[in-house]
Amino acid sequence: MVISALPPLLPRVDAILILDGEGNRLAGKYYGDFLTSTSSSPSTTDEEKEPSSKPNLTVEDLRSSFERQLQTKIQGIAARPDAAEVITVNNKTAVFCGGTAHGATPSGSGGDVRVVHVGPNTESELLLAYLCEGMYEALGHLMGGQTDRNMVLDNLELVFLLIDEHCDGGIILEVDANKLAGSVLLRDEEENGDMMNGAGAGAEQAAAGGQAGGMPAMNGFSAAGFNIGMGARGLQSGDITIAQAFRQAKAQIIAGLSNPEGM
Amino acid sequence: DEEEVYYSPYANLEKSAVLQEARIFHDSQAVRENPRKCCTVIAQLLHLQNTGQFLNSTEATDVFFGVTKLFMSDDASLRRMVYLFIKEVAETCNPDDVIIVTSSLTKDMTCDVDLYRANALRVLARIIDSAMLGAIERYVKQAVVDSSGQVSSAALVSSIHLFGQASENAVVIKRWISEVQESTSSNNEMVQFHAMQLLYKIKQSDRLAISKLVQQFSSRNTLKSPLAVVCLVRYTAQLLHDEVSEGRLGDGYQGGSSVASMGYKFLESCLRHKSDMVMYEAARAICSLPRAEAQDINPAIILLQQFLSSSKPATRFGSMKILAAVSNTHPRLVAKCNEDLEALISDPNRFIATLAMTTLLKTGSENSIDRLLKQISAFLSEIADEYKITIVKSLQRLCYTYPAKHRVLVGFMSNFLREEGGFSFKKTIVNSIITLIKAVPETAESSLMQLCEFIEDCEFTMLSTQILHLLGEIGPTTSAPARYIRFIYNRVMLENSSVRAAAVSALAKFAASCPSLRPSIVTLLKRSLEDEDDETRDRTTMYVTVVEEAMEKFPYVPPAEDATPEEIRPDVPEEDDTAAFVLLGGMPISFDKLQRSLQVYQSSPGTMESTAPMTFSSLPVVEDSPEDTSSNDAVDDGFGDVGGADDGAVNGEPAEKVDPAAAVYAIPELAGLGRTFRSSSPVPLTETETEYVVSCTKHIFESHVVLQFNVQNTIDDQRLENVSVMLESDGELFEVTGEIPAETIKYGETGSCFTLLQRNDGVPIETSEFTCMLHFNVVQVDPSTGEEESDAFEEEYPLEDLEISTADFMAKVSVLDFRKSWETVGNSNEVLEKYALQFKDLESAVSSVINLLGMQPVDGTGSLKPNSEGKPHMLHLSGVFIGGHSTLARAQLGMQGGGVVLKIAVRSDDESVPRMVADCIR
Repeated sequence: MVISALPPLLPRVDAILILDGEGNRLAGKYYGDFLTSTSSSPSTTDEEKEPSSKPNLTVEDLRSSFERQLQTKIQGIAARPDAAEVITVNNKTAVFCGGTAHGATPSGSGGDVRVVHVGPNTESELLLAYLCEGMYEALGHLMGGQTDRNMVLDNLELVFLLIDEHCDGGIILEVDANKLAGSVLLRDEEENGDMMNGAGAGAEQAAAGGQAGGMPAMNGFSAAGFNIGMGARGLQSGDITIAQAFRQAKAQIIAGLSNPEGM
Repeated sequence: DEEEVYYSPYANLEKSAVLQEARIFHDSQAVRENPRKCCTVIAQLLHLQNTGQFLNSTEATDVFFGVTKLFMSDDASLRRMVYLFIKEVAETCNPDDVIIVTSSLTKDMTCDVDLYRANALRVLARIIDSAMLGAIERYVKQAVVDSSGQVSSAALVSSIHLFGQASENAVVIKRWISEVQESTSSNNEMVQFHAMQLLYKIKQSDRLAISKLVQQFSSRNTLKSPLAVVCLVRYTAQLLHDEVSEGRLGDGYQGGSSVASMGYKFLESCLRHKSDMVMYEAARAICSLPRAEAQDINPAIILLQQFLSSSKPATRFGSMKILAAVSNTHPRLVAKCNEDLEALISDPNRFIATLAMTTLLKTGSENSIDRLLKQISAFLSEIADEYKITIVKSLQRLCYTYPAKHRVLVGFMSNFLREEGGFSFKKTIVNSIITLIKAVPETAESSLMQLCEFIEDCEFTMLSTQILHLLGEIGPTTSAPARYIRFIYNRVMLENSSVRAAAVSALAKFAASCPSLRPSIVTLLKRSLEDEDDETRDRTTMYVTVVEEAMEKFPYVPPAEDATPEEIRPDVPEEDDTAAFVLLGGMPISFDKLQRSLQVYQSSPGTMESTAPMTFSSLPVVEDSPEDTSSNDAVDDGFGDVGGADDGAVNGEPAEKVDPAAAVYAIPELAGLGRTFRSSSPVPLTETETEYVVSCTKHIFESHVVLQFNVQNTIDDQRLENVSVMLESDGELFEVTGEIPAETIKYGETGSCFTLLQRNDGVPIETSEFTCMLHFNVVQVDPSTGEEESDAFEEEYPLEDLEISTADFMAKVSVLDFRKSWETVGNSNEVLEKYALQFKDLESAVSSVINLLGMQPVDGTGSLKPNSEGKPHMLHLSGVFIGGHSTLARAQLGMQGGGVVLKIAVRSDDESVPRMVADCIR
């Protein structure tokens, strides 16, 4: 036999993490029994790591120790949104999009935030990359193209929902970025077909929400929509007001959406 | 500046504050007026979980009840958050509490909002049991074929989760097979993908159905979703693996069995699929096919070669990983990618670069080594230690392939010993060099010198002591032992106490083995008599005494000045030199085994009262445990985690083993037999699901065999009494001389009865067959109360035949040095035989010979060497036969004319044993 380990018959991910530039977990989800029991955790060859036999190690300790190992391997590597990078850590395959390279300032089209998919080391790297790229794109839509730490932290609610729409208990639910963003923003599937052509999802939603809810200050919202759209194309990144405007816009969208559509 | 003023709602959250906020859930008016606020609080709660501030059980339950009230609100986004929250806390809450939301969820599941239906389904799957699944079956089944992809996917994915949770669930879900089948042709790609997975789960246990499934979908070409095709490729690969392992492959993948050729054809066609992901999956599946020939794999290699220059790191990474693995078995096929591999050495992803490098080391030819080494030295300085370790391991392997290159390769590795690097990197190099010294003896002298120079400036105590020990072991056997003394003595002068202790031990070994060096070494050793470290001082005192005593008895006489080389006698100690005996003769048994042997000694009846002196030869024989034999010195091939966590597994303490003979010792009637020689593992005499499950453990004694029958009663309205096993045999070797029945065996319990066999010493040991019949009295009982409902009546139950083979009298005991032991035993009792065996391949022949003889394979000869196709295999076996006769066997197995030819030589210190052992082969 050439390769001893066959890939898992049911493709599954072990964890999805959203990390900031320093490797702090902004949001994330571990699936199945990955890093749930202290006994199953493989020990590391790193000498300075605490021994895994330490009795009072909690699940959280295991996870943050895993994330630290992950971070030492991915820091300084920037992965294009459409070309996820791959590393192996602790006998797992980790695939990620986003991040900034060594020395680069966290500006430019993306942000410093990384989306990391962790899978068994027998899982296809291409498959994991496909999932990761899909989710990273969706995150970009939701964050108006501004996937930096603050933007993600301010919109955690959307990020939680995104992870939930993307993956259910380790089984991939949806990969298409437009559909994902649509589901998170509570849009019906049918409408998804012709949306997201260039402008950020949030921007369109802002306009739609404003109209549907008959909210005041329409001008303000279209301005926000415009800015976010630019952000998504990477033309006007780093503008502080975008984040601000978007935040307000989103609050309105959801308020607006809930009235006509909430049964 | 505005950014500074604004605070994220999730920054610096305090658990208590959030819990306070969560009280809003109970205020129905506030919920109605401000659903946004509720959403934020839920998100904050989830964020708490996420940052490790877990709610305790009371807090979680409390909040959970609050959240259930939010079902009152019709706000869509709030409902979405509620679903999410229930899923997250379902695990931490009491399941009885969680169940109260089922009615709300069931309502949502049947409403007409797709979003609600999809999510309610997914939440329900987390909290219901199989009884409730039956209650909502109708809805889930409908949802599987729902027109909304979201709903359909949610139903399918939930079913996949539920399917694995309980067999009762599986029974329900299997009834939806036609709905699942229907959704595989959905327009929605994800629905196809999920339906495919569930369909496979449903059919998984039915090989024929799986083969039909693969055939159907591979020929119809209806799957649009690349993920679904990836799954289909995996199912096909699994099918082909099963086909091979169950021996139905026939004449290869292109022209063999119909399943095999259908499967291979499909995989091959997927190499031209439009999605990279599918193409890659097919290439990987083809490369992992067991017994694939070069022509089967070649199309996949061509594709992977193209992938090597992909702009996507994941594609290069995956392709590189497969090629690295294929290069172990088909280096020639991969060799045509060499140019692309060389280009990858500069890949920004260091894992890819390292794999490319190690693969090149396998596929490159002997004359490309020098060029490769140059590339490596440039490369090594810029990568992390874990990658360096992989490279060093590849270099070590390369040295086996091209022993002529050892000087260059070892020199190269030693250079890196002197460079910067962490402990594990240095340790790997040292271990590689030491392994090479043992495997390729030509490397010994130059390598030792390299290691000597390394310890001159080595910061790792463990490595220094290891190298010093090695110097003591093999330094004296080299052409000029004296040259190492200086290096060792420097350690005594300059190092910490552990290293000093190791250094004086090494010096003492030189003194013991080379009488000519004794006077000068004793002078050096004496300086350590005052060492401040107890261990070093004690060792030195002992060494000096022993060596000086030996010098007095056998004074060294230097050869005369004008002596010709022939006249100079070798510089070795005399036959009965005391220093050599004390310092060089090792223990006859490893410490680990000595410990186990002593434990057995202590536990066997009578021995503790015995006044006979305890010697090594009177200690019980202990067999090698499976852990000893599986010690892997195999070299990591860099596939999988580079420098992964592989060393960690060995640290676990071996589990305390229970002596299987303890049950026999506990029986007073059998105590007179003395100590068991060995006990077999239990042999089943029935199938595992019969009414009475019986297995037999054979305890071998010096002139008896005790058969311990373990009988399990699986009938709930029966109690068994007076259980025994009747044996019948034609042979003369054994005679039944005693029986100890099991008194009662209740339902669900296992009892043991014993049969004592006396072995006839005049008859040579050979395999004996026994027919077995279980005899017992049955008492009918009420299963619930245990009350008797009938009188006992006699009953018989036939068992499978039991065999006591010659191998049962052989203890699996390895020897430390097979070659030496083989010479020591000598050929006076040797038996040589030649057999033709009915095996199709060497692998099964080797394992069968090992089993037939019941001996322990040593020197790693128990399995075939990789890449040795066609060459005969040498098998070295060792064991101790009943009576304490150590027995050795050398066997050569080779393929000849479609069968296996076995030539075997057996030696023992007893004249009759080799014949009995050789006759085991049949």
